[in-house]
Amino acid sequence: MEEKIEQLKAQAAEAIKNAAGNLSELDDIRVKFLGKKGEFTTILRGMGALAKEDRPKVGKIVNEAKAEIAQLIQQKNEELKAREMQQRLEREKIDVTLPGRQQPLGHLHPLTLTLERIKDIFFRMGFSVEEGPEIEKDYYNFEALNLPKDHPARDMQDSFYITEDILMRSQTSPVQARTMQKNEPNAPIRMIAPGRVYRRDEYDATHSPMFTQVEGLVIDEGITFADLKGTLELFLRQIFSEDVKVRLRPSFFPFTEPSTEVDISCVMCHGKGCKVCKGTGWLEILGAGMVHPHVLEMSGYDPKKVSGFAFGMGVERIAMLSYGVDDLRLFYDNDMRFLRQF
Amino acid sequence: MQVSIKWLKDYIDFDWSAEELADRFTMAGVPVENVIRADEGLDKVVTGRIEKLTKHPDSDHLQICQMNVGEKELVQIITGAQNVAEGQVVPVAMIGAHLPNGLHIKKGKLRGLPSNGMLCSAGELHLDLTKLTEEEKDGIYILPSDTPVGVPAKDVLGLDDVVLEFELTANRGDCFSVIGLVREIAVLTGNKPKWPVIACKEDDEAKAADMVSVGIEARDLCDRFSARVIKNVKIGPSPEWMQQRLEGAGIRAINNVVDVTNFVMIELGQPMHAYDYDEITGHTLTARLAKAGENLHTLDDSSRLAKGTELVIADAEHPAGLAGIMGGLETEVTEKTRTVVLEAASFNGPSIRRTARACGLHSEASGRFERGVDVTNTPRALERACQLLQDMGACTVTQGIVDCYPDKKQPVTIDYTTDEINRRLGTAIPGEEMVKILTSLGFEVEAKGNESYHVTVPSWRNDCTYMEDLSEEVARIYGFDNIASTTPFGRMVQGKQSAKQNFVDKIKHTLTSLGMTEELSFAFTSTDLFDKLLVPEDSPLRQAIPILNPLTDEAPLVRTCLLTSIMENAVRNFSRKNNDIKLFDVAPVFLPKQLPLTELPEERLMVAGLITGRREEVGWNQGNEMVDFFDMKGIVEELFRALGISKYTVEAGEHFAMHPGKTALFKKGREVIASVGELHPQAAENFGIKQKVYLFEMDLEVLMKYTGKSFHFESLPKYPAIARDLAIVVDEDVASADIERVIAKNGGKHFKDVTLFDVYTGEHVAKGKKSMAFNLQFQSKDKTLTDEEADAAFKNILKAVEKHFAAELRA
Repeated sequence: MEEKIEQLKAQAAEAIKNAAGNLSELDDIRVKFLGKKGEFTTILRGMGALAKEDRPKVGKIVNEAKAEIAQLIQQKNEELKAREMQQRLEREKIDVTLPGRQQPLGHLHPLTLTLERIKDIFFRMGFSVEEGPEIEKDYYNFEALNLPKDHPARDMQDSFYITEDILMRSQTSPVQARTMQKNEPNAPIRMIAPGRVYRRDEYDATHSPMFTQVEGLVIDEGITFADLKGTLELFLRQIFSEDVKVRLRPSFFPFTEPSTEVDISCVMCHGKGCKVCKGTGWLEILGAGMVHPHVLEMSGYDPKKVSGFAFGMGVERIAMLSYGVDDLRLFYDNDMRFLRQF
Repeated sequence: MQVSIKWLKDYIDFDWSAEELADRFTMAGVPVENVIRADEGLDKVVTGRIEKLTKHPDSDHLQICQMNVGEKELVQIITGAQNVAEGQVVPVAMIGAHLPNGLHIKKGKLRGLPSNGMLCSAGELHLDLTKLTEEEKDGIYILPSDTPVGVPAKDVLGLDDVVLEFELTANRGDCFSVIGLVREIAVLTGNKPKWPVIACKEDDEAKAADMVSVGIEARDLCDRFSARVIKNVKIGPSPEWMQQRLEGAGIRAINNVVDVTNFVMIELGQPMHAYDYDEITGHTLTARLAKAGENLHTLDDSSRLAKGTELVIADAEHPAGLAGIMGGLETEVTEKTRTVVLEAASFNGPSIRRTARACGLHSEASGRFERGVDVTNTPRALERACQLLQDMGACTVTQGIVDCYPDKKQPVTIDYTTDEINRRLGTAIPGEEMVKILTSLGFEVEAKGNESYHVTVPSWRNDCTYMEDLSEEVARIYGFDNIASTTPFGRMVQGKQSAKQNFVDKIKHTLTSLGMTEELSFAFTSTDLFDKLLVPEDSPLRQAIPILNPLTDEAPLVRTCLLTSIMENAVRNFSRKNNDIKLFDVAPVFLPKQLPLTELPEERLMVAGLITGRREEVGWNQGNEMVDFFDMKGIVEELFRALGISKYTVEAGEHFAMHPGKTALFKKGREVIASVGELHPQAAENFGIKQKVYLFEMDLEVLMKYTGKSFHFESLPKYPAIARDLAIVVDEDVASADIERVIAKNGGKHFKDVTLFDVYTGEHVAKGKKSMAFNLQFQSKDKTLTDEEADAAFKNILKAVEKHFAAELRA
């Protein structure tokens, strides 16, 4: 009996060893030896024929043999599974250098992206966004900004006129006057006014009949020229880089006194002098100044009580410098190949 | 305004280089645009004498020159020029010279013989050829034979001067003169100016007042009219030094009288004019408005008919010139002129500007009047002009000035305190430093004690009226760079934008996440675009606002419709072979209440979109289908979901630019919130587009009315849903949306959702019919539904669609 069990065990072990093919072959072996109708079950069933005292001993041997076989099957099972996994992995190999399936995003216009950055910096400094109409009264566009009719400074901007008194706004500055007039007299203001403006400029690499400006205005008690300088330095360092140098040059705008042009060290050559900065090392980036007392008065603010500063910048200029765009027309041609780069 | 460094140095000493001076001027608010050097490229050009001249043995036209250039050894140079001879002194470009024309002089050989430089022509040195004779222009430029050898050629050619070109701001009329600029240099350097001594001798016994009378009729347009009369005038060229100064200022010499008036204008900033006394009818000059229709015959020999708004200087009969802009031809000073009336006047800036613009005549004089001249300066200018002409021996000066100055200008005074200015600037500049700055600029400052001051503004500073103006003077001289930066101090405030601006941002961001790309377009449009887009003749959109002075005839109107803009951008892309386009635009259109405009138009923010071309990118594993109507509709549906716009209806409708059979109107009640459709094939043809284009158009403010104010999430279901499929056959023209509405209405309390997942027409369905398959979802919040409950609901739905649409359940 014991001999038979040993034999069966050896048979099973041999069968398992040779069951190279697959898991179902292995399962057949399991059924053949360990199944309900398997060889060992048959032996156990036939134990009644044995002497009573032999039964426990044989039973033990059978169970041990069964456990041994079960373990072998288990081992083989794992081995086969691992092999099958290995084969599958090899079978499923792909050329990962093939291009991915494209999931294209849309793109915001580079001027919108630039404007969002500008707005973001000013939001964090507590500035709010104000708006005004793009077709505007001459009064708001010029007169309320201390630019009476026939003022020579009007030559600085050639405007598109609709009637004698209505024009396409040539700057975002009229929003200054509108905001002040909307407010309680002398109420503090920290605003920016981004928007489209229109000038009668030929369309070329640096001019466009429509472009985007951001106007800024801060009014409160005790606002100084030094505050203007500090605020614009903060802004310019954030929009360009921490190490950008800022230079203020005295200038003239009818709506500010003192007035200044603000230059930054050239972002292309870092001040060494290149084509972009025309060898000067500096780039003109915005105009600013302390709000002229006339402008305050005309909009119901008292220059004896409050003071303020205003500034204006071109979004195209900042976008061109940020992205290295050398032709302004790219922004308004809206070529998909250009827009998709942003 | 441009002026040579030499002219400035006539009146003040300074050690700065031209570049440094330009920089100092710029940083003090007197911007220098350019530094122009006449000697550019002449560094290694010296004078040399031809000591020996021989023929080149191997050439017919080359000659060998042995040049004395002030060195020990003679230098051999081969030249092709034929106008040279032994003993001549000529400009020699030495090895290493880089001439203005770009030529680089190197060691070389000509037909086998070494040549160590080049003899130069006038052109090669960039001399002003217009001033040379034909002989001088041709061949090598021969210098006077007594010219020293071995000295820099620029010195002997008078090219050592440097010119500064200013781009002056509109407020600084005072800097439109040499003395004004010198005043600035004096403040910046601390050096004392050497002002010219201005005095003429009235050496003619005649009295000017007996010879000529002047008057001002248009008192608001002319503040002062002064004149002097000079006799025994000998017209001829002005001296070389004066011509050089004028040339540096960009003014061509004409004759002594005209040159002197120009010289005084540049020197003192006071424009002048000279009249031939004998041509002045009635010997009287009056500043008056032109009479409409009067002939204005100006020095440039052009005739204009007066509108009646121009200020003219008229004699007893005719205008003798456009005041402050250009003189008249009849009274021009010519070689025959013997007696001259010199005019120095102060005209109203805005009036001069209007007339100059209207006539398209901008002169050095009009530019100065526009910015304002110093009204007290006219006698000085006349004095100076007479003095200069007298010094040339060109005239005698009659007795006295004829001066009409009806409203004598009082000097402007300003009171300020040190603290006021420091508070404006954010500085702590000591009071005495401010006083020093202002005094050096010509302001008279009177201390009133307690750091408060009374200032008299000099007559030439028309731009200073307020304390704020003084603060600028102090700041620009103190130096903007020297002001320490601070940031505003105040209550904590929140930076924000309006709900509308947030909504715009949300739309832009949603559309880009849906694969659309943003364009920015010009606000201009044209009738041609309206025609192409099939805007109906009677549409209010055709009432676009015309621009009085459009840039081009192609874009004379302000847009009333955003689709014209997006179509223009699509067409531009097609022309560049970009055929796959997904664009959107958020921008205003301008709707006038009436034309011509009497009040500001309504500005409506619109959202427009356009898709065309492939649905997916080109790729080995991507589909090849083109976008269709439902791509566009899907984008709009998803946008609305993101904006919280729900419970709208969609129905077939009309839009002039869209295909009548492929236009969907999204509506809230009766209000259209979006139009979506295929570009009308006729419009596509008009624009020359060969592929199908889909559009949407919506009004942002309308959308905003319906956007969800706030959003609450819906809890996830605890119990499973039961699905049933409903496949029915209906007439082909039954709208899907209608069926879905009936399903939803009859689905009972556990009805959750319906999704159309198949539409079929073809051989398995009768003609004129279509098969539609809907997936229905039933679900309860409180329990797991039973099949019986779902079946009951399904039966209700089936009954309803059978009844409403004569639908048949599909086998």
